[in-house]
Amino acid sequence: MIRYECFEWLAPLLTDQLVVTSLSGQRVEWGHLSKREADLNLGSMGNALAVGIGLALALPHRKVFVLESDGSVLLSLFNLPTLANLNPPNMAVFVFDNQAYSGTRISYPSATAGKTDLAAVAKGSGIDTAVTVSQLEDFKREATLALNEVGLRFVVCKITESLGHRGIIRSDMDLLETKYRFVRYLERTEGKAIFHGRG
Amino acid sequence: MNVELAKRTVAGLKEAGIDFVTYVPETRMSEILPLMKGEESIALVPVASEAEAVGIAAGAALGGKRAAVYMEGTGLFVSTYNLLTVGERYGVPMLLLIAYVGSFEDRRNSFLFSHYGTKTTGILDTLGIQYQVIGSGDGLEARIKDATRMMHALKLPVALLFTGEFTE
Repeated sequence: MIRYECFEWLAPLLTDQLVVTSLSGQRVEWGHLSKREADLNLGSMGNALAVGIGLALALPHRKVFVLESDGSVLLSLFNLPTLANLNPPNMAVFVFDNQAYSGTRISYPSATAGKTDLAAVAKGSGIDTAVTVSQLEDFKREATLALNEVGLRFVVCKITESLGHRGIIRSDMDLLETKYRFVRYLERTEGKAIFHGRG
Repeated sequence: MNVELAKRTVAGLKEAGIDFVTYVPETRMSEILPLMKGEESIALVPVASEAEAVGIAAGAALGGKRAAVYMEGTGLFVSTYNLLTVGERYGVPMLLLIAYVGSFEDRRNSFLFSHYGTKTTGILDTLGIQYQVIGSGDGLEARIKDATRMMHALKLPVALLFTGEFTE
């Protein structure tokens, strides 16, 4: 399976779930397919899991989806023991593992192209439910569970590297705009002020 | 850090509205941890790295919490990337409570820490993070409240560097 077809299937199913993505082709593809105010597309690697954890803890009644990549998770492995021990029941992590650093110009193998198994790392960190899927139907099953069930999910999605994101025209929305869109949406739907201090 | 100062610090955080604190344990100010743990209004979140302490606090702040990160000064170097790419780039208010190890007033300073401490404010300056150095309990509660007001006004991380009496 490829990441884009997973996203094409998932995007129309989301309603009030919050989505955090890391940098990489998936940010480009998700941003292209989903224009939701509830999306927080981060412009850096190694931050999505942590930001997702913070959102899940702050808003325990909201489901938080984190769309990660192998390179980004490898950059922030310390998140996994923390995630295991905090065990937020409203969080679902999907790691799209193409076994490569697949940026705009390069495709260089990541550690998961070698000996590293991210689901095993997650399990060893204490995330007992961590699984690996490699077929679209299995992704759909796991995503459906994530949408409908309570409990932390950690799904490593083994995907074939695709270069489609390189052909997508990128959003010119500044990261600050992304933040304000996201926060104003939360303020509206949660009925509370998030940014304090008025001029 | 004496118990009275620890109590005043935690009371000051509470009074300033801080309700979410991530941390990696450290020595100088460790007396505040059991006090925060016993404080119902503060969600205390233990983490494995100051890098994720910043990321988790950022997520919580964007979700409506008034977040703080408690760390040793060396953790600032660990979390510099995260402070830049999330805290500064997205403009996320969070209060950094930093045990200012290796500073002039650090009363446990040694060859271990002095080389780190003397670079601390340089890192904050480079990141554009406003900070105050607090060496005594004088006006402590007001200074915490001022820093919290500033972080909301700027919508950026703001740091308090604790040294002197806080490092005894």
